[in-house]
Amino acid sequence: MKKPNKRKKTLIIVVAALVLIAAATVGILLFRDKPKPKKTSDSQGVVGVVTDDWDTGIDEKDKPKQSGTQIPGYSSAQMKAGDTTLKINIGNPKENKVGMFATVKLDDGTVLYESPLLKPGQGITEIPLSKTLEKGTYNAFVEYKCVMLNEKNTPLNAAESGFKLIVE
Amino acid sequence: MKTRKILSIALAAIMAAASVVSVSAAQLTETDPSGQTEVKARIDGAVPGDVSYIITIPDMVDFGTLAIPENDTDTHDKDVTYDVTLTKLESLDPTEKVINVYVKDQNAKVGDNEQFYIANKSNADIKFSYDVYSATGESINLSTNLNNRNMTTNGFFLTGFSEQGQSLTGTLRFNLNQLYGQSLAEIAGEYSGYMVFFSAIENIQ
Repeated sequence: MKKPNKRKKTLIIVVAALVLIAAATVGILLFRDKPKPKKTSDSQGVVGVVTDDWDTGIDEKDKPKQSGTQIPGYSSAQMKAGDTTLKINIGNPKENKVGMFATVKLDDGTVLYESPLLKPGQGITEIPLSKTLEKGTYNAFVEYKCVMLNEKNTPLNAAESGFKLIVE
Repeated sequence: MKTRKILSIALAAIMAAASVVSVSAAQLTETDPSGQTEVKARIDGAVPGDVSYIITIPDMVDFGTLAIPENDTDTHDKDVTYDVTLTKLESLDPTEKVINVYVKDQNAKVGDNEQFYIANKSNADIKFSYDVYSATGESINLSTNLNNRNMTTNGFFLTGFSEQGQSLTGTLRFNLNQLYGQSLAEIAGEYSGYMVFFSAIENIQ
Protein backbone atom coordinates (compact mmCIF):
# COMPACT_ATOMS: atom_id res chain seq x y z
CA MET A 1 0.00 0.00 0.00
CA LYS A 2 2.88 2.35 0.74
CA LYS A 3 4.73 1.61 -2.52
CA PRO A 4 2.98 4.23 -4.77
CA ASN A 5 3.64 6.97 -2.16
CA LYS A 6 7.34 6.09 -1.99
CA ARG A 7 7.58 6.12 -5.80
CA LYS A 8 5.85 9.49 -5.92
CA LYS A 9 8.28 10.89 -3.33
CA THR A 10 11.27 9.62 -5.30
CA LEU A 11 9.85 11.11 -8.46
CA ILE A 12 9.46 14.54 -6.84
CA ILE A 13 13.03 14.43 -5.54
CA VAL A 14 14.40 13.46 -8.97
CA VAL A 15 12.45 16.18 -10.78
CA ALA A 16 13.46 18.79 -8.19
CA ALA A 17 17.10 17.77 -8.53
CA LEU A 18 16.94 17.98 -12.32
CA VAL A 19 15.32 21.43 -12.21
CA LEU A 20 17.98 22.60 -9.75
CA ILE A 21 20.78 21.30 -11.97
CA ALA A 22 19.22 23.02 -15.00
CA ALA A 23 18.90 26.34 -13.16
CA ALA A 24 22.50 26.15 -11.94
CA THR A 25 23.73 25.35 -15.47
CA VAL A 26 21.85 28.32 -16.93
CA GLY A 27 23.22 30.62 -14.22
CA ILE A 28 26.82 29.53 -14.67
CA LEU A 29 26.74 29.77 -18.47
CA LEU A 30 25.16 33.21 -18.45
CA PHE A 31 27.37 34.85 -15.87
CA ARG A 32 30.74 33.09 -15.90
CA ASP A 33 32.46 35.39 -18.47
CA LYS A 34 30.42 38.55 -18.06
CA PRO A 35 32.76 41.53 -17.38
CA LYS A 36 32.27 43.07 -13.96
CA PRO A 37 32.87 46.84 -14.18
CA LYS A 38 34.15 48.34 -10.98
CA LYS A 39 32.26 51.38 -9.73
CA THR A 40 34.51 54.28 -8.85
CA SER A 41 34.02 56.40 -5.80
CA ASP A 42 33.20 59.37 -8.06
CA SER A 43 30.41 57.81 -10.05
CA GLN A 44 27.96 57.74 -7.10
CA GLY A 45 25.34 56.19 -9.31
CA VAL A 46 24.96 59.41 -11.25
CA VAL A 47 25.29 57.99 -14.71
CA GLY A 48 26.07 54.59 -16.16
CA VAL A 49 29.03 52.64 -14.92
CA VAL A 50 32.40 54.31 -14.99
CA THR A 51 35.30 51.90 -14.94
CA ASP A 52 38.74 52.40 -13.45
CA ASP A 53 40.56 50.44 -16.13
CA TRP A 54 39.36 52.38 -19.19
CA ASP A 55 41.67 52.66 -22.12
CA THR A 56 41.36 54.26 -25.51
CA GLY A 57 41.31 50.93 -27.33
CA ILE A 58 44.20 52.19 -29.45
CA ASP A 59 47.53 50.39 -29.48
CA GLU A 60 49.60 52.61 -27.21
CA LYS A 61 52.98 50.91 -27.27
CA ASP A 62 54.48 53.38 -29.75
CA LYS A 63 52.64 56.42 -28.47
CA PRO A 64 55.20 59.06 -27.49
CA LYS A 65 54.98 60.62 -24.03
CA GLN A 66 54.17 64.31 -24.29
CA SER A 67 53.29 67.21 -22.12
CA GLY A 68 49.75 68.50 -22.49
CA THR A 69 46.45 66.73 -22.29
CA GLN A 70 45.39 63.86 -24.52
CA ILE A 71 41.90 64.10 -25.99
CA PRO A 72 40.13 61.12 -27.62
CA GLY A 73 38.54 61.75 -31.03
CA TYR A 74 35.85 59.84 -32.92
CA SER A 75 34.63 59.38 -36.46
CA SER A 76 31.08 58.23 -35.76
CA ALA A 77 28.72 56.54 -33.35
CA GLN A 78 25.67 54.48 -34.17
CA MET A 79 22.38 53.58 -32.50
CA LYS A 80 18.80 52.69 -33.29
CA ALA A 81 15.88 55.13 -33.12
CA GLY A 82 14.40 54.99 -29.64
CA ASP A 83 17.53 53.54 -28.00
CA THR A 84 18.14 54.83 -24.50
CA THR A 85 21.87 54.08 -24.54
CA LEU A 86 24.74 54.74 -26.94
CA LYS A 87 27.96 52.78 -27.31
CA ILE A 88 30.81 55.29 -27.37
CA ASN A 89 34.22 55.01 -25.75
CA ILE A 90 34.46 58.09 -23.55
CA GLY A 91 37.22 58.54 -21.02
CA ASN A 92 40.32 60.19 -19.68
CA PRO A 93 43.51 58.59 -21.08
CA LYS A 94 45.68 57.26 -18.30
CA GLU A 95 48.69 59.32 -19.43
CA ASN A 96 46.92 62.54 -18.46
CA LYS A 97 47.61 64.43 -15.26
CA VAL A 98 44.26 66.24 -15.24
CA GLY A 99 40.64 65.39 -14.55
CA MET A 100 37.87 65.60 -17.13
CA PHE A 101 34.14 66.15 -17.27
CA ALA A 102 32.76 64.70 -20.50
CA THR A 103 29.50 65.85 -22.02
CA VAL A 104 27.92 64.44 -25.18
CA LYS A 105 26.00 67.08 -27.10
CA LEU A 106 24.30 67.62 -30.42
CA ASP A 107 25.40 70.72 -32.32
CA ASP A 108 22.07 72.39 -31.48
CA GLY A 109 23.12 72.31 -27.83
CA THR A 110 21.02 69.31 -26.76
CA VAL A 111 22.83 67.54 -23.93
CA LEU A 112 22.62 63.76 -24.24
CA TYR A 113 24.94 62.76 -21.43
CA GLU A 114 27.10 64.29 -18.68
CA SER A 115 29.79 62.30 -16.93
CA PRO A 116 30.99 62.63 -13.37
CA LEU A 117 34.63 63.63 -12.85
CA LEU A 118 36.82 61.22 -14.79
CA LYS A 119 40.28 60.79 -13.35
CA PRO A 120 43.12 59.51 -15.57
CA GLY A 121 42.32 55.95 -16.61
CA GLN A 122 38.60 56.25 -15.96
CA GLY A 123 35.95 56.05 -18.64
CA ILE A 124 32.72 54.58 -19.87
CA THR A 125 31.89 52.58 -22.98
CA GLU A 126 28.11 52.80 -23.05
CA ILE A 127 26.27 55.91 -21.96
CA PRO A 128 22.65 56.37 -20.90
CA LEU A 129 20.95 59.06 -22.98
CA SER A 130 18.86 61.90 -21.59
CA LYS A 131 16.52 61.59 -24.57
CA THR A 132 15.81 59.27 -27.46
CA LEU A 133 16.47 60.34 -31.05
CA GLU A 134 14.62 59.84 -34.30
CA LYS A 135 16.20 58.39 -37.44
CA GLY A 136 18.77 60.59 -39.07
CA THR A 137 22.40 61.70 -39.02
CA TYR A 138 23.28 64.26 -36.39
CA ASN A 139 26.35 66.41 -35.87
CA ALA A 140 27.43 65.63 -32.32
CA PHE A 141 30.49 66.11 -30.17
CA VAL A 142 32.03 65.05 -26.89
CA GLU A 143 33.00 68.08 -24.84
CA TYR A 144 35.98 67.36 -22.60
CA LYS A 145 36.28 69.99 -19.88
CA CYS A 146 39.71 69.57 -18.33
CA VAL A 147 40.27 70.44 -14.69
CA MET A 148 43.09 70.28 -12.20
CA LEU A 149 42.85 67.44 -9.73
CA ASN A 150 42.58 69.75 -6.74
CA GLU A 151 39.72 70.53 -4.38
CA LYS A 152 38.33 73.28 -6.59
CA ASN A 153 38.75 71.35 -9.84
CA THR A 154 40.28 74.50 -11.33
CA PRO A 155 39.34 74.70 -15.04
CA LEU A 156 41.99 74.22 -17.71
CA ASN A 157 41.72 74.43 -21.50
CA ALA A 158 38.88 72.39 -22.99
CA ALA A 159 38.37 70.32 -26.11
CA GLU A 160 35.50 69.13 -28.26
CA SER A 161 35.65 66.02 -30.44
CA GLY A 162 33.12 66.15 -33.26
CA PHE A 163 31.55 63.04 -34.79
CA LYS A 164 28.56 61.88 -36.82
CA LEU A 165 25.82 60.29 -34.76
CA ILE A 166 23.94 57.90 -37.03
CA VAL A 167 20.48 56.89 -35.82
CA GLU A 168 18.98 54.04 -37.85
CA MET B 1 4.16 4.98 -16.97
CA LYS B 2 3.22 8.18 -15.28
CA THR B 3 6.65 8.42 -13.71
CA ARG B 4 8.40 7.87 -17.03
CA LYS B 5 6.21 10.51 -18.67
CA ILE B 6 7.04 13.13 -16.04
CA LEU B 7 10.74 12.26 -16.24
CA SER B 8 10.67 12.59 -20.03
CA ILE B 9 9.03 16.00 -19.83
CA ALA B 10 11.58 17.18 -17.25
CA LEU B 11 14.52 15.96 -19.37
CA ALA B 12 13.07 17.58 -22.49
CA ALA B 13 12.73 20.89 -20.62
CA ILE B 14 16.35 20.72 -19.46
CA MET B 15 17.59 20.00 -23.00
CA ALA B 16 15.57 22.89 -24.36
CA ALA B 17 17.04 25.21 -21.74
CA ALA B 18 20.56 24.01 -22.57
CA SER B 19 20.11 24.73 -26.29
CA VAL B 20 18.93 28.29 -25.58
CA VAL B 21 21.98 28.83 -23.35
CA SER B 22 24.30 27.73 -26.18
CA VAL B 23 22.93 30.41 -28.47
CA SER B 24 23.20 33.03 -25.75
CA ALA B 25 26.74 31.99 -24.98
CA ALA B 26 27.68 32.32 -28.65
CA GLN B 27 26.21 35.82 -28.79
CA LEU B 28 28.04 36.84 -25.66
CA THR B 29 31.31 35.61 -27.12
CA GLU B 30 30.85 37.77 -30.19
CA THR B 31 30.46 40.98 -28.26
CA ASP B 32 32.64 40.19 -25.31
CA PRO B 33 35.43 42.79 -24.99
CA SER B 34 37.96 39.99 -24.75
CA GLY B 35 36.65 38.33 -27.90
CA GLN B 36 38.56 38.22 -31.14
CA THR B 37 35.95 40.18 -33.08
CA GLU B 38 36.16 43.08 -30.66
CA VAL B 39 39.95 43.19 -30.72
CA LYS B 40 39.99 43.10 -34.51
CA ALA B 41 37.49 45.94 -34.63
CA ARG B 42 39.63 48.02 -32.35
CA ILE B 43 42.67 47.55 -34.57
CA ASP B 44 41.03 48.98 -37.66
CA GLY B 45 39.45 51.76 -35.62
CA ALA B 46 36.45 51.98 -37.90
CA VAL B 47 33.88 50.73 -35.44
CA PRO B 48 31.35 53.45 -34.57
CA GLY B 49 31.90 54.72 -31.05
CA ASP B 50 35.54 53.65 -30.87
CA VAL B 51 38.35 56.14 -30.36
CA SER B 52 39.73 56.92 -33.84
CA TYR B 53 42.49 59.33 -32.89
CA ILE B 54 44.03 61.21 -29.99
CA ILE B 55 45.17 64.80 -30.10
CA THR B 56 47.26 66.46 -27.43
CA ILE B 57 46.42 70.03 -26.49
CA PRO B 58 48.07 72.39 -24.01
CA ASP B 59 46.33 71.99 -20.67
CA MET B 60 47.29 75.54 -19.76
CA VAL B 61 49.25 78.43 -21.19
CA ASP B 62 50.89 80.78 -18.73
CA PHE B 63 51.85 84.34 -19.69
CA GLY B 64 53.58 84.73 -16.31
CA THR B 65 53.89 88.22 -14.88
CA LEU B 66 52.59 91.00 -17.11
CA ALA B 67 54.25 94.35 -16.42
CA ILE B 68 52.93 97.75 -17.46
CA PRO B 69 55.33 99.14 -20.11
CA GLU B 70 57.00 102.54 -19.86
CA ASN B 71 55.41 103.73 -23.10
CA ASP B 72 52.99 102.57 -25.73
CA THR B 73 54.93 103.86 -28.69
CA ASP B 74 57.34 100.93 -28.87
CA THR B 75 56.26 97.35 -29.37
CA HIS B 76 55.94 95.43 -26.12
CA ASP B 77 54.79 91.91 -26.78
CA LYS B 78 54.92 88.91 -24.51
CA ASP B 79 54.95 85.63 -26.38
CA VAL B 80 54.43 82.09 -25.19
CA THR B 81 54.29 79.04 -27.41
CA TYR B 82 51.88 76.12 -27.41
CA ASP B 83 51.78 72.73 -29.15
CA VAL B 84 48.98 70.70 -30.66
CA THR B 85 49.85 67.17 -31.79
CA LEU B 86 48.10 64.27 -33.46
CA THR B 87 49.41 61.80 -30.93
CA LYS B 88 47.69 58.70 -32.26
CA LEU B 89 45.72 57.89 -35.38
CA GLU B 90 43.86 54.79 -36.44
CA SER B 91 43.04 54.23 -40.09
CA LEU B 92 42.39 57.38 -42.14
CA ASP B 93 42.56 57.77 -45.90
CA PRO B 94 44.77 60.89 -46.24
CA THR B 95 43.61 61.43 -49.83
CA GLU B 96 40.02 61.90 -48.71
CA LYS B 97 39.93 62.71 -45.01
CA VAL B 98 41.76 65.00 -42.64
CA ILE B 99 41.54 65.74 -38.94
CA ASN B 100 40.89 69.45 -38.73
CA VAL B 101 41.59 71.35 -35.54
CA TYR B 102 39.93 74.63 -34.62
CA VAL B 103 40.33 76.85 -31.59
CA LYS B 104 38.31 79.59 -29.93
CA ASP B 105 37.97 81.45 -26.67
CA GLN B 106 35.61 79.85 -24.16
CA ASN B 107 33.19 82.78 -24.48
CA ALA B 108 33.59 83.47 -28.20
CA LYS B 109 30.51 83.76 -30.38
CA VAL B 110 30.47 83.97 -34.15
CA GLY B 111 29.90 87.52 -35.33
CA ASP B 112 29.71 88.86 -31.81
CA ASN B 113 32.89 88.61 -29.81
CA GLU B 114 35.47 86.41 -31.44
CA GLN B 115 38.52 87.65 -29.55
CA PHE B 116 40.65 85.65 -27.10
CA TYR B 117 40.72 87.11 -23.58
CA ILE B 118 42.19 86.66 -20.16
CA ALA B 119 40.04 88.09 -17.37
CA ASN B 120 40.78 89.16 -13.82
CA LYS B 121 39.82 86.33 -11.49
CA SER B 122 38.38 88.76 -8.95
CA ASN B 123 36.58 90.98 -11.44
CA ALA B 124 35.76 89.40 -14.81
CA ASP B 125 34.88 92.81 -16.25
CA ILE B 126 38.58 93.62 -16.31
CA LYS B 127 39.91 91.68 -19.24
CA PHE B 128 42.61 91.98 -21.87
CA SER B 129 42.84 90.41 -25.28
CA TYR B 130 45.61 88.31 -26.74
CA ASP B 131 46.29 87.03 -30.23
CA VAL B 132 46.72 83.44 -31.31
CA TYR B 133 49.10 82.58 -34.14
CA SER B 134 49.55 79.28 -35.92
CA ALA B 135 53.29 79.90 -36.17
CA THR B 136 56.32 81.03 -34.19
CA GLY B 137 59.22 83.49 -34.53
CA GLU B 138 59.61 85.18 -37.91
CA SER B 139 56.52 83.45 -39.26
CA ILE B 140 54.30 85.48 -36.96
CA ASN B 141 52.40 87.83 -39.24
CA LEU B 142 48.88 88.74 -40.28
CA SER B 143 48.38 85.54 -42.26
CA THR B 144 49.20 83.35 -39.27
CA ASN B 145 47.05 85.41 -36.90
CA LEU B 146 43.92 83.32 -36.38
CA ASN B 147 41.78 86.39 -35.78
CA ASN B 148 42.32 87.33 -39.41
CA ARG B 149 40.51 84.15 -40.44
CA ASN B 150 36.78 83.57 -40.48
CA MET B 151 35.48 82.07 -37.30
CA THR B 152 32.94 79.23 -37.46
CA THR B 153 30.94 77.80 -34.57
CA ASN B 154 33.83 75.38 -34.09
CA GLY B 155 36.35 78.20 -33.81
CA PHE B 156 39.18 79.51 -35.98
CA PHE B 157 40.78 76.93 -38.26
CA LEU B 158 44.16 76.06 -36.78
CA THR B 159 45.55 73.12 -38.74
CA GLY B 160 44.79 69.82 -40.44
CA PHE B 161 46.45 66.53 -39.50
CA SER B 162 46.58 63.39 -41.60
CA GLU B 163 49.54 61.49 -40.15
CA GLN B 164 50.30 60.33 -36.67
CA GLY B 165 52.94 62.47 -34.98
CA GLN B 166 52.17 65.65 -36.91
CA SER B 167 52.41 68.67 -34.70
CA LEU B 168 51.82 72.40 -34.78
CA THR B 169 53.66 74.89 -32.62
CA GLY B 170 51.95 78.25 -32.37
CA THR B 171 52.25 81.42 -30.36
CA LEU B 172 50.02 83.33 -28.00
CA ARG B 173 50.93 87.02 -28.04
CA PHE B 174 49.93 89.48 -25.34
CA ASN B 175 50.37 93.11 -26.35
CA LEU B 176 51.55 94.80 -23.14
CA ASN B 177 50.77 98.22 -24.57
CA GLN B 178 47.11 97.69 -23.70
CA LEU B 179 48.16 97.94 -20.03
CA TYR B 180 49.81 101.33 -20.56
CA GLY B 181 48.03 104.14 -18.69
CA GLN B 182 46.01 101.70 -16.55
CA SER B 183 45.96 101.99 -12.76
CA LEU B 184 47.95 99.15 -11.33
CA ALA B 185 45.79 99.27 -8.19
CA GLU B 186 42.75 98.53 -10.34
CA ILE B 187 44.10 95.91 -12.67
CA ALA B 188 46.52 94.05 -10.41
CA GLY B 189 45.68 90.42 -9.75
CA GLU B 190 45.54 87.00 -11.35
CA TYR B 191 44.14 86.56 -14.82
CA SER B 192 42.93 83.48 -16.63
CA GLY B 193 41.17 82.46 -19.80
CA TYR B 194 40.42 79.18 -21.47
CA MET B 195 40.84 78.03 -25.02
CA VAL B 196 38.55 75.42 -26.54
CA PHE B 197 40.09 73.12 -29.16
CA PHE B 198 37.64 71.45 -31.53
CA SER B 199 38.70 68.52 -33.71
CA ALA B 200 36.82 66.42 -36.23
CA ILE B 201 37.45 64.10 -39.16
CA GLU B 202 36.39 66.04 -42.25
CA ASN B 203 36.49 65.58 -46.01
CA ILE B 204 39.35 67.24 -47.86
CA GLN B 205 37.92 70.06 -49.90
